Amino acid sequence: MRRAYIEEQKREHGRKAIAVLPVHYPKEILTAMDVLAVEMWGPPGPPRGAEAGRLQTYVCAVARNALAFMASGKADVVDAVLFPHTCDSIQGLATLLPDFGGWNKPALRYLHPKGEARPSSRAFVEKELVSLATDLESVTGRPLDTERLRWAIALHREIDGLKAQLLAGRPRLPMDDGALYALLRRGEYLWPEEHLVELRAARDQLRADPVQTGVPVAITGYVPEPMSIFATLNGAGAFVAADDYAAIGRRVVPQDGPVEGDPFAVLRDRTFAAPPCPTRASDPRIRARHLESLFGRTGVKGVIVHEPKFCEPELFDVPAVKRSAAARGLPLLLLEGELELELSAQTVTRIEAFVEMVSTGRAA
Amino acid sequence: MITRRIQYELAGRVFGPALLSFEAWQKRLKRRGKKRGPSPFGPPLESVKKLKEVMSLHYLEGRYADGAVPVAWVTSGFPVELLRPLGFHTVYPENHGALCGVQRIVPELSDAAEKEGWSRDLCSYARTDLGSVLLGKTPAGRLPKPDLLACCTNICQTVLYWYRCLADHFRVPLVLLDTPYVYGEARPHHLEYVRDQLGELIEVVEKLTGKRVDMDEIVGIVRKAREGTRLWGECLATARARPAPWTGIDGFFHLAPIVTLRGSEECNAYYRLLLDELGDRVKRGIGGIVDERRRLLWDNLPMWYGVRELSTLLAERGFNFVCTTYTNAWAEAGSRIDPADPMGSAVLAYTHIILNQDLPNRLDIMRRLSKDYSVDGAVLHSDRSCKPYSIGQIDLKERLARELGIRVLILEADHNDQRAWSPEQGNTRLGAFMESFS
Amino acid sequence: MSDAVAIGVDCGSTTTKAVAIDSGGRILYSVVERSHPRIEEQTERCLALLRERTGAAASVPIGATGYGRKRIAASRVLTEITCHARGAFFHTGKACTLVDMGGQDTKVIRVGPGGDVQDFAMNDKCAAGTGRFLEVILARLEVPLDEIAQRAAGEARPVSISSTCTVFAESEVISLVAQGEPVAGILAGLHRSLASRVASLAGSMAADADVRMSGGVAKNATMVEALGRALGRPIGVLPDPQLVGALGAALWVR
Ligand code: SF4
Ligand code: SF4
Repeated sequence: MRRAYIEEQKREHGRKAIAVLPVHYPKEILTAMDVLAVEMWGPPGPPRGAEAGRLQTYVCAVARNALAFMASGKADVVDAVLFPHTCDSIQGLATLLPDFGGWNKPALRYLHPKGEARPSSRAFVEKELVSLATDLESVTGRPLDTERLRWAIALHREIDGLKAQLLAGRPRLPMDDGALYALLRRGEYLWPEEHLVELRAARDQLRADPVQTGVPVAITGYVPEPMSIFATLNGAGAFVAADDYAAIGRRVVPQDGPVEGDPFAVLRDRTFAAPPCPTRASDPRIRARHLESLFGRTGVKGVIVHEPKFCEPELFDVPAVKRSAAARGLPLLLLEGELELELSAQTVTRIEAFVEMVSTGRAA
Repeated sequence: MITRRIQYELAGRVFGPALLSFEAWQKRLKRRGKKRGPSPFGPPLESVKKLKEVMSLHYLEGRYADGAVPVAWVTSGFPVELLRPLGFHTVYPENHGALCGVQRIVPELSDAAEKEGWSRDLCSYARTDLGSVLLGKTPAGRLPKPDLLACCTNICQTVLYWYRCLADHFRVPLVLLDTPYVYGEARPHHLEYVRDQLGELIEVVEKLTGKRVDMDEIVGIVRKAREGTRLWGECLATARARPAPWTGIDGFFHLAPIVTLRGSEECNAYYRLLLDELGDRVKRGIGGIVDERRRLLWDNLPMWYGVRELSTLLAERGFNFVCTTYTNAWAEAGSRIDPADPMGSAVLAYTHIILNQDLPNRLDIMRRLSKDYSVDGAVLHSDRSCKPYSIGQIDLKERLARELGIRVLILEADHNDQRAWSPEQGNTRLGAFMESFS
Repeated sequence: MSDAVAIGVDCGSTTTKAVAIDSGGRILYSVVERSHPRIEEQTERCLALLRERTGAAASVPIGATGYGRKRIAASRVLTEITCHARGAFFHTGKACTLVDMGGQDTKVIRVGPGGDVQDFAMNDKCAAGTGRFLEVILARLEVPLDEIAQRAAGEARPVSISSTCTVFAESEVISLVAQGEPVAGILAGLHRSLASRVASLAGSMAADADVRMSGGVAKNATMVEALGRALGRPIGVLPDPQLVGALGAALWVR
């Protein structure tokens, strides 16, 4: 289905398509250059194909599945791949695939700086954005138009704004978690203008008063896979009132106002305005404050931490997340997954038991 | 006199244990040798005594001045040349981690970190260190608390996550040198970024210590650092001889000064001494192992808890690790250092660390080592908790075997956590690997 | 008129347990069977047996728990965690920490002063901390379950087993046997290793708590003792340890 969509985008609109590895990258530049970004968070399931064995089993499923998928030619519909500088594993993948076989089309890298903003990293990220644009120009064969980049920034600001409204207004949205997340995640491959239309329609459904009756919980982690986690949660009587998934909430940067001045400077500022994320090596203390305020604002009764096994950036932060939950007296459930297609029976039990626990806690 | 004694005792507590146990083990082998035939190892290196002294002195300097001089905890790839002139005493958590690994106390330390919420799948150096901090337990007696954490991402991104946790725990500033990974050639703005950060870093440490960095002093240290790396490289190169005058395992231990004392006169003096001894052994045909029949390359960190058993197992059958990508890394980096342009060359040197460069570069280094050291085979340690060093090994194995016609084994283990190593299975695999040569 | 007021079914991955209780929570009758893939049929059979023995009417409410809980036509479906907590609380009447060691999973539950779940932990996917681990290796050693206590008794020197992975531990044990280590020492080492695994699962939940044990493995006295040593406190085994979950399920619908 995604393949058909990509082919159609290329055919009907003359767009290029680029596969993008997680997590952070300046999508605005891609949009401005008429490049369809297709994010690869998986695909879920065990890594398939003869090439799957090229990464050891102690590497996370995100990197392993991406390798197996790309090296078996399944991503050949795209014109290039972009590797953001997310972690050691993607960093390794970004040389393994293009240099040792499995990917013959252009491989681009976006080396975003780590840590909090410093004069050096602000200057660097701006140059890196320009250098990525230059690399993209050689893929598309077209120069980047500054006006068009301003337009794309404005477009993505509106998208971010809508996502922020939906996430913040979650209790007032008459939709189950599965539907909401499916909508949010369609942005991983839809042409942004199409996604915008869907998001606006969802925003129009927001009610004046809460309609969700379940127990509000927070969820933090990497990517919601398998998506059936939401059916399990909703079925057990809870709903996600606060989101801090790397794939979702941590990429929403609400920014108002007109896009003025050098667009690269605007994108630079966006980079440092984003919510704290361990894949950018944010200070755990800043992250803890951010989470505590999120938990407080949304009145959640429990925190679910949903991480990929073997993920260094995410797992190093778990003690800090635990402390944030404890600081607000919230119980916490830690789930580790490997992009399974379905939740294991044991995981379902743990989620249900957790919801039973926070529900009775609420009644008491 | 009294200070000297105190100094000595303290130092002995710190680095002594690893070396002592290393020596004791060699002696035990000798003794065992009497029962079960001669030891497979050549006579122990005389320099070991000096090594112990040098390292002791280093640790005791810091302990002696604890509270009086600023203490920095630094990653192995950090440009420590900047901190030295400001009088910092440096602690290397990775080195300290290795010490805990050799003493096989990692499970206990890691348990404490796991209890706090750090997954067992994380780098075992980090778990060792965090556990040691939490429990206040260390084979070194006590480590001086940091006033500064200095982290460079040229070995991995993981160190940064780890140091962020340390900064959170100790509530002390963390300075970061973020080195963009080099795919092919480093781009100019990547190098500028590193250079800008060096500038910022100097400001931070100057403010912290209230002293100014003296460029002349840095130049002097840089010059010594380059000389030290050159000497270390020459020591390693003696193993090109047949038989190699020492074992790759010896190299892991003798690496300590170039990592922790780089840029100092003691470091260089030590390697001159070692080089003399190794050169002399080459002349006299004395090998690191008695009967060297096959020469191997080792890739990745050692398995600190098991290096002895491993090298004995191999030595008994005439196999020796004559080169390792790990010990070579410290010889490699120095060649870029240029005292005429200390900052510019530091940027280049610290960005072009083996782990910060792409796989074709890794393969080149391995090819070159294999040829220079005439190896017959290679063991690639697939290190469960060091992803940056391990990703790509499956392809590297295939390429080395195909291009060089050597036998290559991938050995699944972990550099510091013995619980991820199954000696039964591992030794069987090694045994089969060695049999495949005959 | 029957005394039975509620029925609880615990459909576990290894065994299926069903109990009928009276208004005071006393177990009137219980059934324990090896679990069958046809869960619906098996529960029907167990329920029929319970009703027949206790005279319980078809209207007596049923609480269901365990992995197969959703396939049972029950008045209330709850997870094992919530049911075990309630079952344990029935026996203790106060807050405690419950260690439930079953065939496929081990859970540690902090039971609050009202029988509520305050916190819980479960072993991860691998079998390392479960009864299965023990089973696999006992089979290797050819020691039947009921002989453990006698075979491991009085062993002052447990052999250290460093591997925590079942597969690694199995090969480690094989080589220990090959090296001529006495089985008693290996057995003791095995229990110690398993106990330390469970203790780390329990983490802070076991601190300053009255620790109780349930589940099939609670019948293995060597394990109870090893766990007590690992946690540094004596451990009480609940009555009918295998039935605690089913009892809790029944109590929820009583
Ligand atoms: S290690 Fe974590 S951040 Fe890196 S690819 Fe895997 S899941 Fe993503
Ligand atoms: S062992 Fe590997 S992951 Fe750990 S600090 Fe060293 S380079 Fe980084």
